[in-house]
Amino acid sequence: MSEGIRVADVDEIDEGEALTVDAETAGTSDDIAVFHSDNGNFYALNDTCTHEDASLADGWIEGDEVECPIHSARFCLRTGEALCLPALINTKAHRVDVRDGAVWLYPNESPLNA
Amino acid sequence: MVLAAPASIAVVGGGVAGFSAVRELRRRGYAGALTLVDPAGLPYDRPPLSKAFLAGSLDRLRLQLAPEQWYEDNGITVLADTVDKLDAGNGTEAPVLALASGRDLAADVVLLATGARARRLPLPGMDLPGVFTLRSADDALALQGHLASGAHLVILGAGLVGAEVAGTARGLGAGVTLVDPAELPFAQAVGPAMAGYLQSLHAAHGTEYGRGAAAGITSDGNVLRVELADGSRLSGTAVLVAAGSEPETALAEAAGLAVDAGLLVDASGRTSHPRIFAAGDSSRRLGPDGAPGRRFEHWDAARRTGEAAAAGMLGAEPPAGTADWFWSDRYGVHLEVAGSMAVPGQTVLRGEPGSGFMVFRLDLNGALAGAAAVDGGTAVRAARKLIESGRILDPVLLQDPAVDLRRLARAKP
Ligand SMILES: Cc1cc2nc3c(=O)[nH]c(=O)nc-3n(C[C@H](O)[C@H](O)[C@H](O)COP(=O)(O)OP(=O)(O)OC[C@H]3O[C@@H](n4cnc5c(N)ncnc54)[C@H](O)[C@@H]3O)c2cc1C
Ligand code: FES
Repeated sequence: MSEGIRVADVDEIDEGEALTVDAETAGTSDDIAVFHSDNGNFYALNDTCTHEDASLADGWIEGDEVECPIHSARFCLRTGEALCLPALINTKAHRVDVRDGAVWLYPNESPLNA
Repeated sequence: MVLAAPASIAVVGGGVAGFSAVRELRRRGYAGALTLVDPAGLPYDRPPLSKAFLAGSLDRLRLQLAPEQWYEDNGITVLADTVDKLDAGNGTEAPVLALASGRDLAADVVLLATGARARRLPLPGMDLPGVFTLRSADDALALQGHLASGAHLVILGAGLVGAEVAGTARGLGAGVTLVDPAELPFAQAVGPAMAGYLQSLHAAHGTEYGRGAAAGITSDGNVLRVELADGSRLSGTAVLVAAGSEPETALAEAAGLAVDAGLLVDASGRTSHPRIFAAGDSSRRLGPDGAPGRRFEHWDAARRTGEAAAAGMLGAEPPAGTADWFWSDRYGVHLEVAGSMAVPGQTVLRGEPGSGFMVFRLDLNGALAGAAAVDGGTAVRAARKLIESGRILDPVLLQDPAVDLRRLARAKP
């Protein structure tokens, strides 16, 4: 169990928006996108779309899905599952907690209720 | 009626519709036998055929929709074969597919995802060497050899494929003359304002544009001559006929299924035969009123209808319909279009022609019917959401580039 990384205050990420935590800070191979969905929940996935090179943080965030801004592949925000073409490969989901008014990221830990 | 979960399913055609269907069947947990038949073998993607693949910057392996291993992992048998005949049966027994190799393949349920073929023009000279159409990877490879610098390509038809190939050919250093009977090609699909901007890109990139209808092609050694209906002549080292596509419905017609400029299907992809489904470019959906809708000829519709047919074949509800959407890339510009730009109503422009330019079409009630943008990021995605919502929108907000469309789309009405 890592300490977790304090990503931002809750009100710093609007609903439907995302922030990225760079790979170096996260200690991961890819940057991590932290999403605030319009359902009120926070989620985290590897930022780079598994199809080509887009940043999922720039995608369309709705419910428990994010849609890639380039060719519209959809990923499940809870599990990282690639839900439709052109993406075929699942991406990685990371655990996020909301605590003390802040958003905490736990790189490489599975989300608690995926 | 067909059982909720058929014991075996055969898919005819490995385009994006057929592939999306087999993928979605497995994603939904379907555990029966699954076979896909396509003459090319493993399914591949078509949009790059006029873009990166034609330019030589994407190889044949990367064109595949999934690597070979994926089919093994998902228990999908791919047959590199052609279906010559469909014996649909009376609905109680399994339909049988007669394959060109001589084999018969029976399956409880069949999905026809046979796509479309390039339309050929009824012209003298269509079969001359150096005259091409573009629908398959082999077509693209054949054309590619004629696009080096020093070559001059005459393209008949300035729709999506013709305009994209013009851009790719110019990028490779070939000269291009683009000919179309329309004064403003593509206007029906993207609206006149966006079509005008896209048209201006041809001249800006050194593509000659000529209005006219081809009347015939002749060959004179290494030079091909295209005669237009008005008597004028063009010449080039190769000719691409890019005159749209025609649905591939021969199997279905011979089997007696309902076909009207496309295989007629319901929202689940079911044809007039209970054990036969259809999806993608070969199909046309019946509306709730029973009237056939438009036959879509683009990637996202093929994917969505393939997935809907997968649900239908399993007896599940198809996913809710979404606003239609397509993209096109030419001369380094990324175009996206959602909904319909041709309904009666009002056009609203946002920004200046160039990167970020966007055009909206409001219907007579003031609800958004269509939107088109170049290099618009998620703007067209937001527009899709607004189209689906049916909300009445203030044109003043839409035309203001300072108004964030994402926020507008998310605002609770
Ligand atoms: C050059 C080009 C560029 C394009 N660019 C874009 C773009 O930028 N954006 C966009 O949205 N759309 C684009 N499209 C359109 C998009 O590719 C099509 O809408 C999509 O391919 C349709 O998928 P499909 O599976 O219905 O049919 P297809 O892709 O046509 O696949 C059908 C398959 O069925 C096979 N088949 C047919 N008959 C039989 C038979 N009897 N037995 C076995 N197999 C059979 C065919 O060989 C083919 O492989 C482009 C198309 C082309 C040709
Ligand atoms: S890069 Fe994400 S879908 Fe293509």
